[in-house]
Amino acid sequence: MSVAVHGDAVAAAANYIFPNDLHVHWSLMIVLYPYITGLVAGAFIVSSLYHVFHIKALKPVARFSLLFALAFLICATWPLLNHLGHPERAMSMMLTPNPTSAMAGFGYIYTAYFIVLVLEILFIFRPTVVALGQKATGFMKMLYSVLAIGSDNVSERALKLDQKIIAFLAAIGIPMACVLHGYVGFIFGGIKANPLWATPLMPLIFLLSACVSGIAGIIVTYIFLMKISGRKIDVDCVQTLIKFLWGFFILDFVFEMLEIFSHFYMATHHWHTLEALYSGPLFTSFWVAQVGVFSVIPFFVLMAMSLIKFKDSLLLFIAPIVSVMILIQVLLMRWNVVVGGQLMSKSERGATTFHPMWFEKEGILPAILIMIAPVVILWIIGKVLPFWMDDDGVETA
Amino acid sequence: MIDIEKEIQKDRRAFIKNVLSGTIAGSLLMVIPAGAALDGAIPEQIPGVRGDHSPFLKNQFVFIVDVTACIGCGSCCVADKNEYNVPDGNYRTWVERYVIDDHDEVFVDCPNGGLDGYTKPRTDIPYPVRDTFFVPKLCNMCQKPSCVQVCPVGATYRTEDGFILVDKKRCVGCGYCIQACPYSARYLNPVTKTADKCTWCYHRVREGLLPTCVNVCPVHARKFGDLNDKNSEVYKLLREPHVISVLKPGMGNQPALHYLGLRREVV
Amino acid sequence: MEKEYKSKYYSHVVKIVLIFIVVGVLAVVGRNYLLPDTMGQYGHYRGSDLEDQRNVEVRSHTNESCFECHRPIRLIHKAGVHKTVSCEFCHGPYADHVKDGKYVAKLPVKKGMEIKELCLRCHNKIIRARPEESIKVVAMPQHLEEMKVQVDHNCNQCHMVHDPLLWIKAANEMMGMEMKGDKKN
Repeated sequence: MSVAVHGDAVAAAANYIFPNDLHVHWSLMIVLYPYITGLVAGAFIVSSLYHVFHIKALKPVARFSLLFALAFLICATWPLLNHLGHPERAMSMMLTPNPTSAMAGFGYIYTAYFIVLVLEILFIFRPTVVALGQKATGFMKMLYSVLAIGSDNVSERALKLDQKIIAFLAAIGIPMACVLHGYVGFIFGGIKANPLWATPLMPLIFLLSACVSGIAGIIVTYIFLMKISGRKIDVDCVQTLIKFLWGFFILDFVFEMLEIFSHFYMATHHWHTLEALYSGPLFTSFWVAQVGVFSVIPFFVLMAMSLIKFKDSLLLFIAPIVSVMILIQVLLMRWNVVVGGQLMSKSERGATTFHPMWFEKEGILPAILIMIAPVVILWIIGKVLPFWMDDDGVETA
Repeated sequence: MIDIEKEIQKDRRAFIKNVLSGTIAGSLLMVIPAGAALDGAIPEQIPGVRGDHSPFLKNQFVFIVDVTACIGCGSCCVADKNEYNVPDGNYRTWVERYVIDDHDEVFVDCPNGGLDGYTKPRTDIPYPVRDTFFVPKLCNMCQKPSCVQVCPVGATYRTEDGFILVDKKRCVGCGYCIQACPYSARYLNPVTKTADKCTWCYHRVREGLLPTCVNVCPVHARKFGDLNDKNSEVYKLLREPHVISVLKPGMGNQPALHYLGLRREVV
Repeated sequence: MEKEYKSKYYSHVVKIVLIFIVVGVLAVVGRNYLLPDTMGQYGHYRGSDLEDQRNVEVRSHTNESCFECHRPIRLIHKAGVHKTVSCEFCHGPYADHVKDGKYVAKLPVKKGMEIKELCLRCHNKIIRARPEESIKVVAMPQHLEEMKVQVDHNCNQCHMVHDPLLWIKAANEMMGMEMKGDKKN
């Protein structure tokens, strides 16, 4: 910078961070929060593809993905509660929501979505639950009776009513899943003070990456659970999931790149800060990891898997690997947005650093525990509501 | 050397006087409380405010920082820390040092928020220095505050007389306001686990006292006053042609904190 | 033949609706109990927080509070160029010294080289950002050399800290001399 014109003079000539910007306030917990809600929204969409859009190939995972969504939804608030300075006051968000706050809606949107998801599960599983309840004894019998909402009626008339309600719930569930996650994107996208976050594309990117992570999560867990229980994997189902994964990932990746490109092309004074960030502290985690390794490679692998007919064994070998890569891509994206955005000081002159610790309150260990929790919950749910059973309580596949 | 002798003599007399009156005054104080109430203890600095118990004052307060006057002594930072016992590493107010070299490169620093003053010159400036100045920062008391907009529970709010305050009994400590503030005036208080920031010394103003940083500034670089008072210094500064601006006007937050002689390099 | 069921075909739907109604009513009623008393009194916040905010302790006073007791210093401090310097900047906050009108603890008085450090915090010429109109700055140790005193001299050997020019003016008066600096001031 030899000749300084107006904009250049304020650009990062030396690393200066506002004294209060040294500390990254939103760390691992806030990285996990959109990651978990994304998995929820994505898994729900897989289920809706079957229940609403009648993609028959997805029948084997349609029920499972609802339970998968539930397990993660139960844990979605945990990182938030762990993050809050006063978790005991969390209910204030429901009690006195500030109408102008983008965050205040979360309690309500979360609750509404939770209700829709639980109801949909209860209605879909009701015939199975009734059938299981008849065989069960003691506590389990009581539990099944509660889950069947105290009704043993599985007559044709009752099931017809249930079907209507299920269709309705699934239909409103899709916009709600989109709202839940688009809204999470807006929590960031609405912060004008942070140029990395403040873009109308943010809700869209969050939503698309949610779909991507949900589908990938379902592929991984489906294949894994089938393998360890020695069941037969429905190749057609996996193939269809891969196609959807590719489709959503095209959109996701393109919009992620478009966001950077439009910042670059418009080149407002914010770009000077962003440029320094992307070429400095975020270079490895964004360009190398998120874009280079975990976006470009899966992109072409998914393309090949969708366009070329692979041998079943090869397909089932690559599918979980590429899905795990996608899951990592989305986690990296959350990291680069949430933490990356905060690395830039609002001084527009420098960036702070952030290295998560293992044993602090919001450190790596709590993060791992929070990510294990939904898996444990899913396993417990599986003990009550079998993943691979049809209405008569008979094992499918 | 006679004069020096006399000086010492004089000083000794002053010292004895000091000791005597100090002791007497001190011992008297031990017995007779001087009155806890501020009335009488500190002369009123903002007329017509003390004793007003209505929820909001009629005044329209503004804060003006004179960049051309500030000497970077950090009195304001010390006073602020004293007044609020601000935990180390967090800053309700801070003083930045700007150095611009003759290649127009801008160097800014702010070691410990300016709390320890500036005792050393910067040694990493490659070219001769063209210009250098100090810029004190504090809460901008925006008329359109982002922090109030985003607070999910209504724990931070703007009073009708223009103060933005944080209710520490209701703040959940989510940190959203910290993210939303374009000026990084907020921090999460590690003691109370709630958001915290400069209040323009609301409790002092309501007692008719100036904000503590304004009170201690030795060079009158910090000015606080009422725009409704046509004779006030702030009114004259803002209503007459002066080089005066706010920080990040493009954010649209409309701060009530103004800067006199603000340079374009300041963010 | 249709199997017989204990429940009606719609009974579970009715139960769900009932649960919703009960929870909804409980939530509405419960909310009124849980709301802070003065929430919404003036806006979307707890109105009584205004009172809490006003009750924050005033820890720093003004110089006048100090002068109430410290009379001789008052005369010196108020007469000199340091009259705008806050007592509490060097000595600490009033509240650490006097509580409820009673003396509680001694405030620190800077001694020895602490004084020099404190002086140079403001008067150090090497920090170039200091406007001439605001403050008189000196370079060290050139200032001491110029004034023909030993370079290890402390500032307060010539400058009375509360009124830096007090002794110098007095000395000049006595000697009938005008010093270089005096013309400017």
